[in-house]
Amino acid sequence: MKTDSFRLRRVFAITSVAFLFTLAISPAKNYFREYRSIQEQFRKLGASRAHSLKDAKTYQNRPVAISQIWLRDFGNRVDRCTTCHQGVADPAMANAPEPHRLHPWTAHTPGDSDRMGCTSCHSGEGLATVRGDAHGTTADSSSPLTPLANIEAGCGRCHTSEAVPQAALLSRGRALITKAGCYACHSVRGHEQFRSEAPPLNSVAVKTGGEWVRQWLKNPRAMDPNSSMPNFQLDTQQIEELTHYLFSRPVNPELAAKVAAASQEAPGDAVSGKKIFSESRCITCHTVEGKGNGSAPELSKVASMASRGWLLAFIRDPHAFSPETRMPRYHFSDSESRDLVAYFETELKDFDAPEGILDPLHVNQTLAEKGAKAFRGLGCFACHDPAQGTIKEKFGPDLNGLGDKRAASLDFGRRTDLARTLPAWTAAKLMDPRSFSAGLKMPNYGFKNEDVQAIVTALLSLGSKPVPEAYHPVSHGTSAPIPGGAIGQLVQQYRCLSCHQIGTQGGDISTAPLTFEGSKVKRDWLVNYLMLSFTIRPILEERMPIFRIPKDEAEKLADAIESFYVNPAIPEDPFAGRPASDQNASEGQRLYVANGCRACHIIGPSGGYYGPPLTDTSTRLKPGWVFKWLKDPQAWRADVRCPNYGLTDTDALRITAYLETLRAPGAQKSSGGKG
Amino acid sequence: MNIPSLDSLGRWFRGTSVYRSIVRHGVAETSRNRSLIVFENLFLHVHPVKVREKALRFKHTYWLGGITMVCVIVLVASGVPLMFYYHPSVPQAYQDMKELKYVVDNGVFLRNLHRWGAHLMVFGAFLHMLRVFYHGAYQPPRQFNWVVGVVLLVLTLFLSYTGYLLPWDQLAFWGVSVGTNMAREAPVIGDKLRFFLLGGNAVSENALLRFYVLHCVLLPVVLFLFLGVHIWRIRKDGGVKGPSEEAPDAFHEEEP
Repeated sequence: MKTDSFRLRRVFAITSVAFLFTLAISPAKNYFREYRSIQEQFRKLGASRAHSLKDAKTYQNRPVAISQIWLRDFGNRVDRCTTCHQGVADPAMANAPEPHRLHPWTAHTPGDSDRMGCTSCHSGEGLATVRGDAHGTTADSSSPLTPLANIEAGCGRCHTSEAVPQAALLSRGRALITKAGCYACHSVRGHEQFRSEAPPLNSVAVKTGGEWVRQWLKNPRAMDPNSSMPNFQLDTQQIEELTHYLFSRPVNPELAAKVAAASQEAPGDAVSGKKIFSESRCITCHTVEGKGNGSAPELSKVASMASRGWLLAFIRDPHAFSPETRMPRYHFSDSESRDLVAYFETELKDFDAPEGILDPLHVNQTLAEKGAKAFRGLGCFACHDPAQGTIKEKFGPDLNGLGDKRAASLDFGRRTDLARTLPAWTAAKLMDPRSFSAGLKMPNYGFKNEDVQAIVTALLSLGSKPVPEAYHPVSHGTSAPIPGGAIGQLVQQYRCLSCHQIGTQGGDISTAPLTFEGSKVKRDWLVNYLMLSFTIRPILEERMPIFRIPKDEAEKLADAIESFYVNPAIPEDPFAGRPASDQNASEGQRLYVANGCRACHIIGPSGGYYGPPLTDTSTRLKPGWVFKWLKDPQAWRADVRCPNYGLTDTDALRITAYLETLRAPGAQKSSGGKG
Repeated sequence: MNIPSLDSLGRWFRGTSVYRSIVRHGVAETSRNRSLIVFENLFLHVHPVKVREKALRFKHTYWLGGITMVCVIVLVASGVPLMFYYHPSVPQAYQDMKELKYVVDNGVFLRNLHRWGAHLMVFGAFLHMLRVFYHGAYQPPRQFNWVVGVVLLVLTLFLSYTGYLLPWDQLAFWGVSVGTNMAREAPVIGDKLRFFLLGGNAVSENALLRFYVLHCVLLPVVLFLFLGVHIWRIRKDGGVKGPSEEAPDAFHEEEP
């Protein structure tokens, strides 16, 4: 009995102690949390980097605490990242080891970190105070960090407009998405009105031959490396069906008549055609054997792509054939266009093309009907015949909110080789869309690795969490309208927006946005320039084409630019009524030399050729613009290389006055006419 | 100045009316005194004054009822602090789970204690019931307590189910969606029942609030009521009943 009770007591004592220890586990774990030791490290690091004893003491006396940024505007979000990343806003922590390092400078850090927190750009779990959870490295995290390679996706959460000047990768990704035509199949907020540039296929039968279409469908890029049409990886049967379908589509009778009439014309002069071709600067958009801008088709085999009649009719009026094309309508005379086509037929053809590549096809109705189904089923209509897609749903899945999708909700299918993360999945989708499972429809775009990185960045910027109204970036009043009426028609005809930017619209081929062109150049110069464009910056390969614009149209356009595209901040007369000669122009010349402007600009016989020559500044530029530009070049174009010298008003006026004295030797008052 | 000895201080303390109103009967180890201690204490009097040593043996009952009862105490003890950190509202509930995990001291321990305690309570209650069934302890005179036990099991399951929704995560949402859809399949009153449970036609903030009130107020109160009856009945029915070969003994020798 005695031993029994003793044993019982012993068991009781042992279990009590064990229980006590078990209970101590949780408080102990609580006490030895990771961030405590990190804060301890930070205190030591700060003290070692401090410049005064007082600063060192301040570091040493920092309390151990969870610190957080409370983002009321973002749905009461709380970011505790600064619990470990204590040095993000501490200049003493530049180049310190992570997690103590100072955040690199961006437009929003350190200035806006209290307003935007961390997770609004970086994603990740802001509430967490444990590394794995905060960074989302644990399996199936609901919000993993955006990889640093794609960090510009964070910029795109708020900056939803197409181009974001300080986020080059994001902007490039968005441009690539537009160029590839992704919006034709995928719906993305803000791009509902997207129209593909793909030709509408209403004149295939009079344009080209069955064999050419077969080869094209097999691999468009093999026929034209600049083509934005992806490879649909079709089998021979599908190619045959689609070819028959394309030739069975009714030809627009008006176009057919134009092509038929043009094909009857006598051949032109190839030598003169070659001259016109280079004069007109076609390679500003097209390429010939790879030389040129590459935003329009490669032309070295153009005569083996389309019939003579079609080429003639197309050059004369591209917009009738393809309403969305970026190609402008030149003012070629009938004989000039004949010469051009003659040049194509002698030099720009595929000498290895099989015989009869342009022979028309005898349509087999059964195949054509199957082809019609394939045309719908493969989604061809989304780009080539969007009228068929009047249904509300787009052909492909909605991409809105893609950036916040959990990896667990993605179908990795056969791709067991991939990391189970959203960026890896998206990149693989872009590189090889059909590798995930059988029956997928997205074609292969042949993106390069760096393109994929950019597009992934752009796609990750499509978040699902709403961005508060106050955080939408203010546009800088540059959304200049495109006028309607006669001027609008001219802008359409010459497709100014294919190369130039006006406000937020337009292409990126030209380095001269037209938004404030009226405040920049003088009208008379502009009229002459429109009629006979020449290169302003010879270093650039892309040049303004010579459209052969008639004088009355050039004047209309110049007048419109003078009245619409002006900026009230740019004074018409910076000298405030006094003659320019009142300013010390010789001092201006000295400043011009002293600041090294010569390195980039040519005046007279000498100077660099990176920037535009300034020999005839007084003929070309308005002094108000010159003055404002000198004060802050980047205000007018964010990416311009011209340095901001921080000139005083007086100095800027002096340089302006100096430049005003420059006139081209034997300057013509008004030349005009064709050159 | 006289420094009072420890002994005299103790004597003085034991003489105060506060001490005497709490410890009324001292520690004298006489049978009478032991009986008095048990009789006159609210918490002890549910238990018999004398229990046979056999009844305390592990193999007699496997301590299943006791384990379940301890779980109830642990759950109340961990549930109340959890209530300090939890808001039964849609924007807040799930975030509070994360706060418990990341910020609240010992929050993970509290939550896990509550969660595993709850699992053990359900499991223990089931085993307890099986034990009672196989030992034939549901037979008269314990048939009434068996019914009370069944009610307690149902209450336990309800408590477990209502607590399931409170984290407001996907598991909770769909668990409750499925569960209340099952309720809808009940004949005649199905739809009304679901509406009543959810406070609407879908799992929403109303459902969260209802489940919260049920989980933290209504069901625990009812549980304690029945628990009191259950434990009191054990004593009135002649104590715990173990394996049946002992039945005659237990029947006669336990005090009524």
